[in-house]
Amino acid sequence: MTTTRRTLLLAGAALPLAGAAVAQQRTVTLGYQLPLTGEFSQYGERFRNSAIMALDAFNRSGRIPAQVNIVFEDTRSDPREAVAVARKFVDNRDIVAVLGDFSSSAAIQAGRVYAEAGMPQLSQTASHPDYVKISPWQFRNITTQAYEGPHVARWMAANGVKRVAVVSIQNDWGQSVVSNFADAFKATGGEVVATQMYNPGNREFRAVLTDIARQRPDAIYIGMFYEDGAAFLQQRRQLNIRAPVYGTSSMYEPKLIELAGPGAEGMYLSTSFMAESPEAHVKAYVEEYKRRFNSEPNMFSAQAFDAVNIMLEAIARAWPDVTRQRVRDELARTKDFPGVTGATTFDPETREPAKTLARMRIQDGKFTLIQN
Amino acid sequence: MRGANVSDRRFPPLAIALGAAIFVLVPLGLSLADSGYFFRLAIVTLIFSILALSMQLITGVAGLLSLGHAAIYGVGAYTAAILSTRLGLGPLLTIPLSGLVSGLLGIALALPTMRLVSIYFAVATLGLGEMIYVTLLNWVSFTEGPLGIGNIPPLRPLGIDLSGPLATYLFVAVITAIAAVIVHRCTHSYYGNALRAVREDDQCADAMGLNVVRLKIEVFAIACFLAGIAGALWAHTTGYVNPGDFRFAESILILAMVVVGGLGSVPGAIIGAALLLLLPEALRAVGEVRILMVGVVMFLCILFLPRGLFGEVSALSLARRQLGAAWQQDRGVGWR
Repeated sequence: MTTTRRTLLLAGAALPLAGAAVAQQRTVTLGYQLPLTGEFSQYGERFRNSAIMALDAFNRSGRIPAQVNIVFEDTRSDPREAVAVARKFVDNRDIVAVLGDFSSSAAIQAGRVYAEAGMPQLSQTASHPDYVKISPWQFRNITTQAYEGPHVARWMAANGVKRVAVVSIQNDWGQSVVSNFADAFKATGGEVVATQMYNPGNREFRAVLTDIARQRPDAIYIGMFYEDGAAFLQQRRQLNIRAPVYGTSSMYEPKLIELAGPGAEGMYLSTSFMAESPEAHVKAYVEEYKRRFNSEPNMFSAQAFDAVNIMLEAIARAWPDVTRQRVRDELARTKDFPGVTGATTFDPETREPAKTLARMRIQDGKFTLIQN
Repeated sequence: MRGANVSDRRFPPLAIALGAAIFVLVPLGLSLADSGYFFRLAIVTLIFSILALSMQLITGVAGLLSLGHAAIYGVGAYTAAILSTRLGLGPLLTIPLSGLVSGLLGIALALPTMRLVSIYFAVATLGLGEMIYVTLLNWVSFTEGPLGIGNIPPLRPLGIDLSGPLATYLFVAVITAIAAVIVHRCTHSYYGNALRAVREDDQCADAMGLNVVRLKIEVFAIACFLAGIAGALWAHTTGYVNPGDFRFAESILILAMVVVGGLGSVPGAIIGAALLLLLPEALRAVGEVRILMVGVVMFLCILFLPRGLFGEVSALSLARRQLGAAWQQDRGVGWR
């Protein structure tokens, strides 16, 4: 594992020199800016692991008569370094497209450089609404609440839910949970009977629960993270409120069931990646990841794995005319890409991803996939 | 004014050499390399030189340990971002206005805290810095909160396009040079000596008739003004600001630049800024351990050169010898 990684890095670093030496063997180079040091390094490590896996498989497959390299550059997701690395990648004429960065702000700051220089950029995690609006060169492989909210609304409507109470954390993300869901749910003919926002840090939901129970909702939709969610589910059980709970994908975390105990039973939630999925390609990915890197892949690793594969797919389609412009155009044509985070389609206009979100329910203390 | 006579009388060769290096040699080299990466590094180094210079004035010369400098810098960046995106003002207005807002904020913050000394002042500025950060983060209707402000226009003063790398570099270099002259004049003068007296023993300085509180407020205001200018330059050259960019860790970075470069030394601030920004980039080839190596270099610097790479004493004698700052040899007037 270490050898592969080092070889890759060396290959990346030596590329400008190697280009002349092995002119007959064409190489295609990608840049990947990610936090390999600093407070977010655990994410960068996962991205790189997944990228190496995807790259090895692609180069072995021989889909194009050339080797693809990835130059990994550490940015600490720091705005100064992110912009400098973006300049560095733009200067390197061999680099045809870039993956990353991790945080939205680093991705946006680097994105301004890529927009100006005409370099396709695909981030696996930047969920800021403005990120894809920078220029036609920005793509992302993460769904936002603008996608998840309507998905849950349709799901509820299909389950016969007419009246919903919404409880969400009071921050920018929570605001987007409420607005995106409420608009879509009203469009299905349903009614949002109560909306309650709670301040971050507050885990006392009894007053909120009593209040919304009075509105007799058919279901409760909660936008929060698993720590708050566990407290909410427990208190709901203590107050014996029977309305089923639907949650945001942010609550997909084994700790939720651990903390909420029987209170979590029956909760519905959607997710783009499920490590326990019975699907063959997800299983293969999880097993190889565990074997090579001795750790469990999570949603972030999967997100990066798919992002790199989507990029490689675009390069394969663009071959032999692999230019920055062509790769951008091919990325925009990504349709029903079968990844480990579901089938992904990029909207050619907004460059927002659409994914088939998997539906889950907590049953017998386990996340269980619901077959459609 | 006597100071004017001095500069008329002789052209300091060092100033000419430095000017030639910053305005001719570096841009020429960077243009030949034709690398946006090196230009970007040069621009960021210049912006942080302004920050380190302003920090030098507060911490190195006046001896006030400020831990909230990044927040003041952030206020400058946000002022430029808001003025240019909402009101459409050009950089010729946003840059000085950012300085003014930060400077006025500096005065407002200095008034209640100036009677605090040493560690108490440091903790007070730490708290103020956090308050500013939390305000930038939570005042969503005004600062757009955690989403940050994007689409800040690049440098196009009076319709002249300075958004290219060379033009941006030169524009930032001119402002940095002006900031360096301001800090130089504040440091290498009677005024600077008064600040040093306050640093060494404020009660003694008070007893000698210096208005200690007023001096501290003045120097804090000047430094905050410069930090605000640096913030505006950052906003215009980067195009997007986010509260996360102006957290406590940035204050510590600026402080480290000043300490590694040499407390109280004007060239030291610039050397420290260049070292701590360029070293991590130069060490990219060694991989993940690069940040560790930066730490080692900083540690060794402090261990073996506790006065900094270019300490105050050398900086003062350099200023006297080369720039003849406030020193009229023939009349025997000046500071020693």
